Amino acid sequence: MVLIEYSELETLIGRIHEISGFDFSGYARPSLLRRASRYLTQHTMNVKDLLLHIEPGGGIVYDLIQELTVNYSEMFRDPDFFMKVKTDVFSYLESYPALRFWVAGCASGEEAFSMAILLKEAGYLERSIIYATDLNNKVLTAAREGVFTLGNTRTFSENYLLAAGKNSLSDYYHVAYNMAVISPEIRKKIVFSLHDLTGDGVFNEFQFISCRNVMIYFTLELRQNVFRLLYDSLSMLGFLCLGKRETLRYSGIEQNFKIIDSTLNIYQKIQ
Amino acid sequence: MNIKKDDSLSLVLIGGSSGSFVIFEEILKLLVQPLSFAIVFVLHRGKSSTSVLPELFRNRTNVFMSEPHHLDTIETNTVYFAFPDYHLLIGPDGRFYYDLSEKVFFSRPCIDATFISAAFSGIPVKAALLLSGSSADGAFGVKVLAQKGFATYVLNPKDAESPRMPEAALQQYDKHTIIYKSTLIKVVQDILYSHAM
Ligand SMILES: C[S@@+](CC[C@H](N)C(=O)[O-])C[C@H]1O[C@@H](n2cnc3c(N)ncnc32)[C@H](O)[C@@H]1O
Repeated sequence: MVLIEYSELETLIGRIHEISGFDFSGYARPSLLRRASRYLTQHTMNVKDLLLHIEPGGGIVYDLIQELTVNYSEMFRDPDFFMKVKTDVFSYLESYPALRFWVAGCASGEEAFSMAILLKEAGYLERSIIYATDLNNKVLTAAREGVFTLGNTRTFSENYLLAAGKNSLSDYYHVAYNMAVISPEIRKKIVFSLHDLTGDGVFNEFQFISCRNVMIYFTLELRQNVFRLLYDSLSMLGFLCLGKRETLRYSGIEQNFKIIDSTLNIYQKIQ
Repeated sequence: MNIKKDDSLSLVLIGGSSGSFVIFEEILKLLVQPLSFAIVFVLHRGKSSTSVLPELFRNRTNVFMSEPHHLDTIETNTVYFAFPDYHLLIGPDGRFYYDLSEKVFFSRPCIDATFISAAFSGIPVKAALLLSGSSADGAFGVKVLAQKGFATYVLNPKDAESPRMPEAALQQYDKHTIIYKSTLIKVVQDILYSHAM
């Protein structure tokens, strides 16, 4: 395994910024260090080689950015979270004639599709619209296609059942050329678009924002800015959801939220 | 990056998998007096085993038990347990960081990830122990720690219920101190409560 020092990581971050404009300076160093080391190991090179080889317009830097931003996701990841949203959040939404959801950092759409299915089964999908955003164009393209391998759908189906799904996940996709394609009735309620949580601003007001397993990669400081953006994008009594091991602590907006579930990280804006 | 908050912080790291749980219990029973450092346990366990460890031991000792949250500051006199299904990293700012990337050795948490992050954090590691397990996870991490000059201990493979893990560690690096089942408790007690560092 090829290891790298924090000082070398800083050099690499600077170089990536110069070459591609992509700024990792607000990303948490411990996980970046680990990702960088894994990238070097896979490509059997050391930092010096890498610094020599990345150049403007070359493919390596995009490869590297891809590797450093973790895009892994699953449909119905943390099934207990989806169960809780269904039982404890949806009832609050009853009175709204139109509902806006935001899945921030949506990767290839897994979470947005899950949300749409959950809403469909609860009878809310018709009056809902889900905005799903990410800063990575590559994953957004995949999300718009809504295509997964059958291997993936096996895990997703297990999660779906654990989340007490009412039907079978296969009711929401069809199989073509050995791939699972999410059905149009689910997709048509989702708008996928490019949005950088660290640079772009408020673009709508939402009753529900899910930003799970995204800020976990940000530094404490950057994270506070993003929390502010999410806060400003939420309507009063709207819901904010974070990943299972994340926390609203150290966010700067703790006092504005009521805890709906502290282990599953579901909060409601109360001031 | 933030400057490290607590200059007096040091760590004891303990990693293991199958066959290590009993030893963990033995070690936890030793924790009767306050500790001048933090202990971090990385034990392979399934997704569903959430919170089992701290509950099991919470009321038995004078030492705090915690499954830390992302960004929590590492405190002395606390025993931390890596949460299942996430890698647990130790940052140079003395905080925990979770990492959701792919499994390593079919494991998340992976022992190497925690050990290597500690080795590079700049926080002194008082001791690192690798116990029993059926994969080579931890072997590389404990070597990195040894090469950084920290005290490393590996369970004698013959004494391990699953010898693969300590075997791999000794193959990769042969200067770890070997701990034997018969003297394990004594050795750990010395690490925990000796005042020399
Ligand atoms: C691990 S995935 C989480 C996917 C999904 N929310 C989940 O929990 O399974 C993290 C996603 O955040 C995206 N991301 C990282 N930095 C971002 C930023 N500054 N703005 C928007 N998205 C970002 C990554 O591209 C990646 O797709």
